[in-house]
Amino acid sequence: MAEWSGLHSSTSRHTMDKSITLPPDEIFRNLENAKRFAIDIGGSLTKLAYYSTVQHKVAKVRSFDHATKEATSDELYEISVQEEVTARLHFIKFENAYIETCLDFVRDHLVNTDTKVIKATGGGAHKFKELIERKLGLRVDKEDEMTCLIKGCNFVLRNIPHEAFVYAKHADSEFRFQTTQPDIFPYLLVNIGSGVSIVKVESEDKFERIGGSSIGGGTFWGLGALLTKTKRFDELLQLASKGQHTSVDMLVKDIYGGSYGSLGLTGDLIASSFGKSATADKGFPKEDMAKSLLHMISNDIGQLACLYAKLHNLSRVYFGGFFIRGHPVTMHTITYSINFFTKGEVQALFLRHEGYLGAIGAFLKGAEEDNPNQYSWGENYAGSSGLMSVSPDMNPMQRARSGTFDMLEMDRLERKLVNLPLLQDASSYIPDTVDLAEDALAREYWLYCFEEALDGVVKRALASQPDMPEAAERAEKFRQKYRHKLQTLRHQPFAYGSLTVRSLLDTREHCLNEFNFPDPYSKIKQRENDMALKYYQKVVKSLEELSWEERQFALIRGVLAGNVFDWGAKAVSDVLESEPEFGFEQAKRKLEERPWLVDSYDQWFERLKGPPHKCALFFVDNSGLDIILGVMPFVRELLSRGTEVVLASNSAPALNDVTNGELQILTESIAAMDPVIQAGLREDRLTLVQSGSSSPCLDLSRLDKVLAMVVRERKTDLVIIEGMGRAIHTNYYAMLSCESLKMAVIKNSWLADRLGGKLFSVVFKYEVPAAGHDSEALTPP
Amino acid sequence: MAEWSGLHSSTSRHTMDKSITLPPDEIFRNLENAKRFAIDIGGSLTKLAYYSTVQHKVAKVRSFDHATKEATSDELYEISVQEEVTARLHFIKFENAYIETCLDFVRDHLVNTDTKVIKATGGGAHKFKELIERKLGLRVDKEDEMTCLIKGCNFVLRNIPHEAFVYAKHADSEFRFQTTQPDIFPYLLVNIGSGVSIVKVESEDKFERIGGSSIGGGTFWGLGALLTKTKRFDELLQLASKGQHTSVDMLVKDIYGGSYGSLGLTGDLIASSFGKSATADKEFRCYMAKSLLHMISNDIGQLACLYAKLHNLSRVYFGGFFIRGHPVTMHTITYSINFFTKGEVQALFLRHEGYLGAIGAFLKGAEEDNPNQYSWGENYAGSSGLMSVSPDMNPMQRARSGTFDMLEMDRLERKLVNLPLLQDASSYIPDTVDLAEDALAREYWLYCFEEALDGVVKRALASQPDMPEAAERAEKFRQKYRHKLQTLRHQPL
Repeated sequence: MAEWSGLHSSTSRHTMDKSITLPPDEIFRNLENAKRFAIDIGGSLTKLAYYSTVQHKVAKVRSFDHATKEATSDELYEISVQEEVTARLHFIKFENAYIETCLDFVRDHLVNTDTKVIKATGGGAHKFKELIERKLGLRVDKEDEMTCLIKGCNFVLRNIPHEAFVYAKHADSEFRFQTTQPDIFPYLLVNIGSGVSIVKVESEDKFERIGGSSIGGGTFWGLGALLTKTKRFDELLQLASKGQHTSVDMLVKDIYGGSYGSLGLTGDLIASSFGKSATADKGFPKEDMAKSLLHMISNDIGQLACLYAKLHNLSRVYFGGFFIRGHPVTMHTITYSINFFTKGEVQALFLRHEGYLGAIGAFLKGAEEDNPNQYSWGENYAGSSGLMSVSPDMNPMQRARSGTFDMLEMDRLERKLVNLPLLQDASSYIPDTVDLAEDALAREYWLYCFEEALDGVVKRALASQPDMPEAAERAEKFRQKYRHKLQTLRHQPFAYGSLTVRSLLDTREHCLNEFNFPDPYSKIKQRENDMALKYYQKVVKSLEELSWEERQFALIRGVLAGNVFDWGAKAVSDVLESEPEFGFEQAKRKLEERPWLVDSYDQWFERLKGPPHKCALFFVDNSGLDIILGVMPFVRELLSRGTEVVLASNSAPALNDVTNGELQILTESIAAMDPVIQAGLREDRLTLVQSGSSSPCLDLSRLDKVLAMVVRERKTDLVIIEGMGRAIHTNYYAMLSCESLKMAVIKNSWLADRLGGKLFSVVFKYEVPAAGHDSEALTPP
Repeated sequence: MAEWSGLHSSTSRHTMDKSITLPPDEIFRNLENAKRFAIDIGGSLTKLAYYSTVQHKVAKVRSFDHATKEATSDELYEISVQEEVTARLHFIKFENAYIETCLDFVRDHLVNTDTKVIKATGGGAHKFKELIERKLGLRVDKEDEMTCLIKGCNFVLRNIPHEAFVYAKHADSEFRFQTTQPDIFPYLLVNIGSGVSIVKVESEDKFERIGGSSIGGGTFWGLGALLTKTKRFDELLQLASKGQHTSVDMLVKDIYGGSYGSLGLTGDLIASSFGKSATADKEFRCYMAKSLLHMISNDIGQLACLYAKLHNLSRVYFGGFFIRGHPVTMHTITYSINFFTKGEVQALFLRHEGYLGAIGAFLKGAEEDNPNQYSWGENYAGSSGLMSVSPDMNPMQRARSGTFDMLEMDRLERKLVNLPLLQDASSYIPDTVDLAEDALAREYWLYCFEEALDGVVKRALASQPDMPEAAERAEKFRQKYRHKLQTLRHQPL
C-alpha cells in the first residue's frame, strides 16, 4: 500500500523555516539544461528527478600528422582536452516542507528546456498538483504509483552494483552488499507503507500484487500513537529501540514454564503479542509497548512475505517503504523474522536507493521514448550522497543532513556493459578481493593511504593543466570534496555499497572528472610512452638472442618489471619522483627472485610446450615501460606461437593506465618497427578493444559489449590480467571457464604484509579450470 | 499457541457462588460406574470427561419355539424387555470457578471405580494439579496439549455427523453443516488461543505445527484492554460488534480517493489498520475494538489461507477461545477467508470445539480400550447442543452455557460404514430437506411433532402395562422432548 498516509500533519507540526537558501552548485546541479522532470511526493518527502546534459572536459590523444608537421617535436602524439556532453540523471530528495522553495529555485534556474510536462506519482501528488503547475508552468501528468515503484526498482537493480544489501545488526559490518545478478527477475517486493503490498515482479513489464496486509507502517504509527501518546513516527521507533517486549508479550515460557519441545517452540518465542496486557493491573512503559508493537508488526509481515515467497517459489525478497527506509530497528526485526520463518532459506534484502524508486520509475515512464533501458548507467559517486548511517546515535549530524537534501546522480554510459562470457559463474562473481566494510584494519589502512596520497594527486592534477589559471581553485575543490568523501566513508563504510579499494579509486576518478581534471597523468604517460618506445627494438632484440626456455622466463620477468611502473602506488611514485633515471633494468633488479610469493611459473612453462592457445585476452595496466617493454614483447611471442591476441584497455583515463586511445597510437608505431606486430594487425590477429571501464581496477561483470562479442567470436581460451588493481584488488579469486594468468607486482608494503610477502613480491597465478590439478604453488594466507 | 493465558484473573474477579447445588441426574450422569477420567483446564473453562456404562432396557423379539410351546398362542414371536449395559462417554464443561464444587461432587458420587489416574491437559492443568489429586485421590497424568486437541478433533469429525459447519451471518440459516467425509484427512486446524497455532493433520497419529502467529486472541484482549480500558473479553467483543472501523482504519479510498483499479483494490478495503489513529483527534472505544478485531481476524485468515495453499489443504477448521461460539469472530474469520481465497477455501467451525482437548486427553488414557475401533453416536438426550450465538438473541440460554454444557456419546455395538454402492460418498446427504434452511417446512414439522407427542406418550405407556412407574417416566419423556422441540424452534441448529 501507499507510503502516503497522513504523514504531513506530523511534519507540518514542525514549523520549518521555508526560506532556506539553497547552495545551487551542490543541490540542483545542471538545472540549466534540464529536461524531462518527474516528481514523487510521499507523505513526508518529495523526490524530484530530472535528466540533464553535463558538459565536461575529456582528454583525447591524436597522432601527429608526421608528414606535415615533421620538425615540431619528437612526441608521438598530441594531447587535447575537449568538451564532451554526456547525459546524467539527477535525483534530489527533500522534505515536503521545502517543496515551494525548491520549485521556485527550479523555475528560476531552468534555462534551456522545452519540456511541457512533469510526471508525478506518490499519494501526495494530487495535493501539490496545483502548486507545481503554477510554480513551474508544467502540466502535471500522474503516473500509477505501483508501476513507477517497480520500474524504479528494476532500474536500480540492473544499473547500480551493490544496490541490494542484507542487514546484520551484530555482524562486523551492518550491511552486506549483494553482487549484481545477471538476471534480476523474478523477485518479490514487499512495500511497507501505511499498509503492506506484496508484489511479484516477473519481468520489466510484468508484475502482480499477489498479496498485502493492512498491518503495516500506519498500524505501527497509529496504534503506537494511541498507546504511547507519541505522535511522531521517528520517536516511536526510538521508543521501540529502547523497550523490553517481554513485559507486554506473553512468551511460550509464560504459558508452559519453558519451551514447548514437542512443537519445537523455544521458551522465549512470543506466544501472544500483548498477551500480558489484558490482565496486568499496572500500565506499561511506553518503550515496552512500542517494542512489542514493532515486533508484532515486523514478525507478521516477515511471515507473510515468506509464505508468499514460498508459494510463488521466489528466493529474492526486497523490502521497502517508509517503515523500512533507513531505519535499522525495522530492518533488524524484519530480517530476524525472515530468518526465523524460512530458517535461512530466504534472505531479507534492502535497497540503497529505495527512497528514490518511485521518482526513478516516474521519470522512466516519461522518458520511454529515449529508451533509457537501452543504456547502461553508472552511479556518480561524486554527486551522490550515499547511504546514510542508520545507527540512530552514530552520526546525528549526518542524519540531520539527510533530513534536508539527499542526492543520487547516474551517468549514462556511452556503451552498454555486459558480463565477460568467460566467467565460470556470473551470478556468484565478486570482483573485489577484500570488502573493506567488513575488514576494519584494511579499511583503516586504505583510507589513510588514500588520504596520504591526496596531496600528490592534487599536485599532479594541477601540473596537467599548467596554462589554466583557475585550475588551482578547481584542484582545491577537488581536494575538499574527495577528503570529505573519505571522511564520510570512514564513518559510513557502506555509503556506496561495499567499500573496496576499487570504490575508493573510482570515487577519486569521479571527483577529478567532476572538477574538470579528466586526465591528470596525460603528460607523464606521454613522456613515458615516448621514452619506452625508444627501447622497444633493443628489448626485442635481446629477447631474441635468448634460448626458447630462457626467453619464456625473460618475457614474464619483463611484464612484471614493467608493472613496477605504477604512479598509483606510493612506493613507486616516490622512487620515480626522486630517481628520474630509474628504468627497466633497475625495475628488474627490484623484483623478488623465484620462488615468488605466488608462483606457478613451472606449470605455465609446461603449458607453453604444448599447443598454442587459440586466442588470448589481455587486460593491460600501465602506460610507458609496462605496456611497451613488458606487455608488447609478450604479445609478440604469443602471436609468433600462432595465438590471436585481444588487448583490452580502459575506455577513459585512470591514473597512468594506458587508455584505448593511447594504445591505438602506440601499437601503430610499434607495428612500424616490428613486422610481427604489423602482421598481427594486418591479419587481424591482434585486436585492440576498450574494456568499458575507467577504473584502475576491473569488474568483469561490467565490460564493453564489443569486447564480449570479440571474445566469443575468437573462441578465447586464455585470459591474462595484469597489475595490482586488476589482478589483486579485484579478480584475485575470480574463476574463469578457460585458462587464466594473473600477474602483478605488489607495490604496497601493507598489502605485501597481508599476503605474507614483502614490497615487490610477485604474484604469478596460472589457473586451469576444472582440471582438478593444483596449479597454484603458493596461496597467500 | 495455548488457549490458557492469564484468563482466570478475569473470571475470578466475578466472585461466583461456589456452593451451587448440582442437579445430579442432569449434570454428572452415570457417575456411579464411571471409569477413566480426563480433564482439560483452559483459561476459563474446565472440561471433564469420563467413560461410564449405562444400564437401560432394550426390547428384544424372539421366535416361539413352536415344537415345545405349541398351544399357547398364535403369535409368531414374543417380545421381551431386557436390561443391557452399554458404554457412554460423558463430557461436561463448566467454568473454572466451579472446579472445586465439581470435584467434590464427583468424589462423593463415584461408586464402582478402580481408576487410579486422571489424564489432564490444558494450560491450567498444572495450576489445579494439586487440588485434583487431593480431592479425587487420583494421580494427575499430564498429556501434551496439542496431541489431545488433534486426537479430539479427529474423534468428533469421525463420529459426529454434522460436526463441522460454515458460518454465514446474513444467510437464511447462520450455520450450514457439512456432511461427514469418509476420509477426514488431511486438514488444517487453526487454533486461536492467546496466540495462533496452525497445525496440519495428516492422519490419526501424524500432525505438524506448520505455522503460528503471536497475533491471536490474547492480542485482541490485551491490546483491546489497553485501548478501551475494558478488561473483559466478552465485553470487548460486544464493543467490537457495535463499532465502525472506518474512522480508525485507513481505507484504500482514503489514500486514492476511490478504488485502486489497476491493482484490483476496492475503495473500501482496509489499507492500513489504525492508519488514521496517528492523526485523529478523537478516540472511540468501540471503533478501536472493531478495528482491532478486523485486523486480527484478517491477519489470521490470510495466514490460514497461505498455509492451506502451501500445503494443498482445502479443509480448514478454526477453534480456540477466540472463536468458540462467538459469532463476531466467526463472521470476521469467514469473511477474511472468503476474501483471501476467493471462495476456494471455506472456514469451518466445529460444534464441539470446546471439548476437543478433553476428548483427546480421554482417548489418550483409553487407548487400551481401542475407542477408535468403535463407532460412536451423539446422544441427543444428554447433550446440550450448540448455543445460539447471536449475542442478543437468547441471553438466558447464554447464561446457562456459562455454567454447564454437556456432550454424551454412546458406543455403538457395531462399526458403521458407508454403503459401498454410494456413487459419491463424500457428497452424499441422507436428508432430503434441511429444516434449518427451510423456515416453512421447519415450522410445519415442529408443530407436527409436538402435535404427535401426546399420542407417542400414550403409546409408550401402553407398551409397559405392568410397570407401575411407567407413567412417571412417560411424563418425564414428554417434558424432555417438548423442551427439545422448543429449543429447536428457537435454535434450529
